Amino acid sequence: MYLLYRSLTATVVLLGASVLTFGLVYLTPGDSAETILIQQTGHQPSQEAVESFREEEGLNEPIPVQFVDWLGSALQGDLGQSYYSNRAVTELLVQHLPATIELAVASMAVALLVAIPTGVASAVHHGSSIDAGSQLVALVGVSMPNFWLGYLLIIVFALTLDLFPVAGTGGLSHLVLPAIALGTGMAAIVMRLVRTSMLEVIDREYVDGARAKGLRGRIVVYKHALRNALIPVVTVIGLQFAFVLNGAVVIEVVFQRPGLGTLLVDAIFARDYPVVQGVVLVIAVLFVVTNFLVDLTYHYLDPRISLGGGTR
Amino acid sequence: MTLLTVDNLHTRFETNDGVVRAVDGASLTIDRGEIVGLVGESGSGKSVLARSIVGLHSPGRIVEGAIDFDGVDLTDVSASTRERYRGTDIAMVFQDPTATLNPVFDVGEQIAESLRVHDDSSGQSLLDFCHVPLVSDRSRWRRHRERAIELMDQVGIADPEDRVDAYPHELSGGMCQRAMLAIALAGDPDLLIADEPTTALDTTTQARILDQLRELAAETDTAVLVISHDFGVVADCCDRVAVMYGGEIVERGPTDRLLESPEHPYTRGLLSCLLRADDGRDRLPTIDGTVPERFDGGPGCPFASRCSYGTDDCERRDPAVRTVGPDHEVACHELEAVRADDSPAAAGSPSESTPPGRPRADPSESVTRDRARADGSRTIDARGRSGSAGGSADRGDPILEARGVTRTYDLADSAIQRAFGDSRTLRAVDGVNLAVYPGETVGLVGESASGKSTLAKLLTGLEAPSTGEVRFDGEPVGTVADRTADQLADVGVVFQNPQGSINPRQRVRETIAEPLLERGWDSECRRERVRELLDLVGLAERYGSRRPHQLSGGQLQRVAIARAIALEPRVVVFDEPVSALDVSVRAQLLNLLADLQRRLGLTYLVISHDLDVVRHVADRVAVMYLGEIVERGPAERVFDRPSHPYTAALLEAVPRIDDGTDATRLEGPIPSGVDVPSGCRFHPRCPIAEPVCETDEPDSVAVGGVDSHCHFAQQVASRGVTEDSESPRDQSPDPPDTTTR
Ligand code: SF4
Ligand code: SF4
Repeated sequence: MYLLYRSLTATVVLLGASVLTFGLVYLTPGDSAETILIQQTGHQPSQEAVESFREEEGLNEPIPVQFVDWLGSALQGDLGQSYYSNRAVTELLVQHLPATIELAVASMAVALLVAIPTGVASAVHHGSSIDAGSQLVALVGVSMPNFWLGYLLIIVFALTLDLFPVAGTGGLSHLVLPAIALGTGMAAIVMRLVRTSMLEVIDREYVDGARAKGLRGRIVVYKHALRNALIPVVTVIGLQFAFVLNGAVVIEVVFQRPGLGTLLVDAIFARDYPVVQGVVLVIAVLFVVTNFLVDLTYHYLDPRISLGGGTR
Repeated sequence: MTLLTVDNLHTRFETNDGVVRAVDGASLTIDRGEIVGLVGESGSGKSVLARSIVGLHSPGRIVEGAIDFDGVDLTDVSASTRERYRGTDIAMVFQDPTATLNPVFDVGEQIAESLRVHDDSSGQSLLDFCHVPLVSDRSRWRRHRERAIELMDQVGIADPEDRVDAYPHELSGGMCQRAMLAIALAGDPDLLIADEPTTALDTTTQARILDQLRELAAETDTAVLVISHDFGVVADCCDRVAVMYGGEIVERGPTDRLLESPEHPYTRGLLSCLLRADDGRDRLPTIDGTVPERFDGGPGCPFASRCSYGTDDCERRDPAVRTVGPDHEVACHELEAVRADDSPAAAGSPSESTPPGRPRADPSESVTRDRARADGSRTIDARGRSGSAGGSADRGDPILEARGVTRTYDLADSAIQRAFGDSRTLRAVDGVNLAVYPGETVGLVGESASGKSTLAKLLTGLEAPSTGEVRFDGEPVGTVADRTADQLADVGVVFQNPQGSINPRQRVRETIAEPLLERGWDSECRRERVRELLDLVGLAERYGSRRPHQLSGGQLQRVAIARAIALEPRVVVFDEPVSALDVSVRAQLLNLLADLQRRLGLTYLVISHDLDVVRHVADRVAVMYLGEIVERGPAERVFDRPSHPYTAALLEAVPRIDDGTDATRLEGPIPSGVDVPSGCRFHPRCPIAEPVCETDEPDSVAVGGVDSHCHFAQQVASRGVTEDSESPRDQSPDPPDTTTR
């Protein structure tokens, strides 16, 4: 029942996203056919060439027909050809997606691994120097733009200390600096949130109850308190994923990683619309999927939320 | 054999405003297998004492004294040793079970954890407790879960196999408290501390939890410390009682002795505040003043500021502990003077003359401004007490009336569920007729989930009935949204939990003026009226500028009352007006309600699960069960000679400071309003149910002025309140709960 409901809403969201993606192309100024031909051939195309290109690509059909065509083939995994490289968009996506997911997951992991223990420690030792210190670090972390942090990391750890490679993809070592650059901002936000949320939970009676049972301090904090404190945090982590994808675009450029971000930026500059559409659609799908996962986690964390959507 | 000796314990908190001496030289002993009660108002330090014994972080710092547990001084051991005692040797049950169970783990898990701790208290690993696959010992957890089911069965949770997977929010309060008890017992403790274990529960559930504690002490030789503000609760189950005030034990002794010959003025005061079956509708004795926010800890008796026997000596010197009888000790300088007032009932009366938190009862002082709406009913004086029990002929027309009111709730959460055919509905109120006449007080009693609060919401227009209608002054009225400004002004509402109904950011003055503002009063009139209202509810004017968190529960409830009567309503509906309050504060508030009713000619509808409260205030009562009114009639008659088995059972469950005979207990929880039992809806729990009850719905039967929905109403009324026909209580009108001490 719940899954049915969720899939319904997810479909609606995706449909909306695809309408927007599709419409995006038509909202951009300039005759795309002409621009593309200039780029492909290097000189001003003839009127006939433009016409035949339009005919070929179906650009003369009414827009709704084009949309349905596009959607139909998209559902079969065919997102068209890149205008530019003549490769299938799907192929390009498959090629670039792993690097981005890798980066997103790695930076999420960095963020959570740092943020949760620090946030908890900060709350448990509320008002101590640990608390003050991590608050300060969090402030710096939030205020630092990630591309700037990326360059800083490259200068210090790659160029000066030569601990990690400067750029590109490869083993885990290539992932470390970008993940830190991208994860720091999120770590700072999540840490603050964990702290606030823990502070609220730690005085609750059930925490005392758990202590009265004879549970060790660590179990009380990390099992009984944290589990409750994470409930509001999870929602924010889900939203943060949008920023991670956002930031991935920038960070991929900084570290020259061949991911969706680089692909998108290149495609935008090249007016390679099928690719732009493809990337945006993939991001939308990723978004819907993460939100779905967040919902599931949310329910797992808080049994009071019934799967029907309401609380009782 | 003495298990626990608390000796001259001092526990202090550091707060922003300085040091709070929460426990200030308390001493106490408990033997194995003994139940000891610890009584006092909130703020007397009893919870902190309990937490100090258990060793929870919140009690602040123990600065002096010793807690000797089975030969070990707990104040003198390392934190980790201390931790080892917790749960396994000393367990604790808290006041609000729904808040003490962790909402995100199922009950079985929480009990199993406790068992695990007990099995192996030093080897707790975080990964194991978080059930991390591979690391966690799955088979052991499974065994513990099975034991959890046994424990749940043992503490009286029905269908433990199903309930073991339930989350706390899926269980009733009583069930949660049993689960807490199971958690506490899982550690097989030598000492169980129960901090207000039944305050948040229905009377019927309370009775059964107290039974459970008694059994526990008797069967397993566990020592139990029961903490309560209610002497009735403690008297019901304790062997010995200690009375605490200002962080000190002011009197302790065997329960019987304390009840029969209390010595300390504070003990006497507490006892005199209790509602008694026989005190009719008189003013209740109260204890002067309120518990100070903090005690200075200097020399002198902590009670001096409120004691009517106090002398200068009391403020200068600590009273010595005197032994006044076998195992009976009191700390008071002026015992002779106190004893001179021979009966404890009289001891309360010196304070009765002028409880400070009460409006000066001056009938000439015209607080009621001339009302725009002239109304004949206003002229009704007091309550015509003697006549109230009589016929309805002279009552005139009802002022507030429910006619065949039903309220159902759809249980399906979403349109999709409904589309898939989930059409379950909950019948919270089911075809109720209830009339409230001008000038009277109607009491509405029942357990939680009986529908009484829903009925209140329907009458006040906070919700709309599914069918039937609500009439005010003979006119059908809709919900709040549909009522005219006058109709709205005519009905005031006071809820149980003032913290929840008062905006925490507003000053008291603004809170009270809210309805006036809505009615468009200008600021001058508002200020004037707020001043009057504060005076009416017995709050000094300076309270107007306070914020809610600076007030005590009793003061907050006064604010709520002031707001409810701001627009001079004719009817005030109270939903559990005093159930969250200390007995002394409760007495003050009940007196206030009586004063207001007399001075303003108000009509009351009082809803409560507390039968004593309703008995004290009501002219007529209606008893509700599963959405229906099962018995109604004059209060005295219903309470003295109930003619419905449910009413009888409710009465039996009230803890009494008397004989302590084993009363019949209602089995099982109130069923849900989704699957209403056939025939008489009470039959699954009724001690005298016959086959006919399962099939035929009983009609209303009139028994001596009372309407009862029971096939055997006549017999119940004549038999008294026990189910056992072999031993009918004698036909005297005396209920089994006479407390004439
Ligand atoms: S010592 Fe004095 S102030 Fe304290 S209770 Fe006795 S008479 Fe009252
Ligand atoms: S009708 Fe039967 S089941 Fe119902 S209350 Fe009376 S005796 Fe009990």
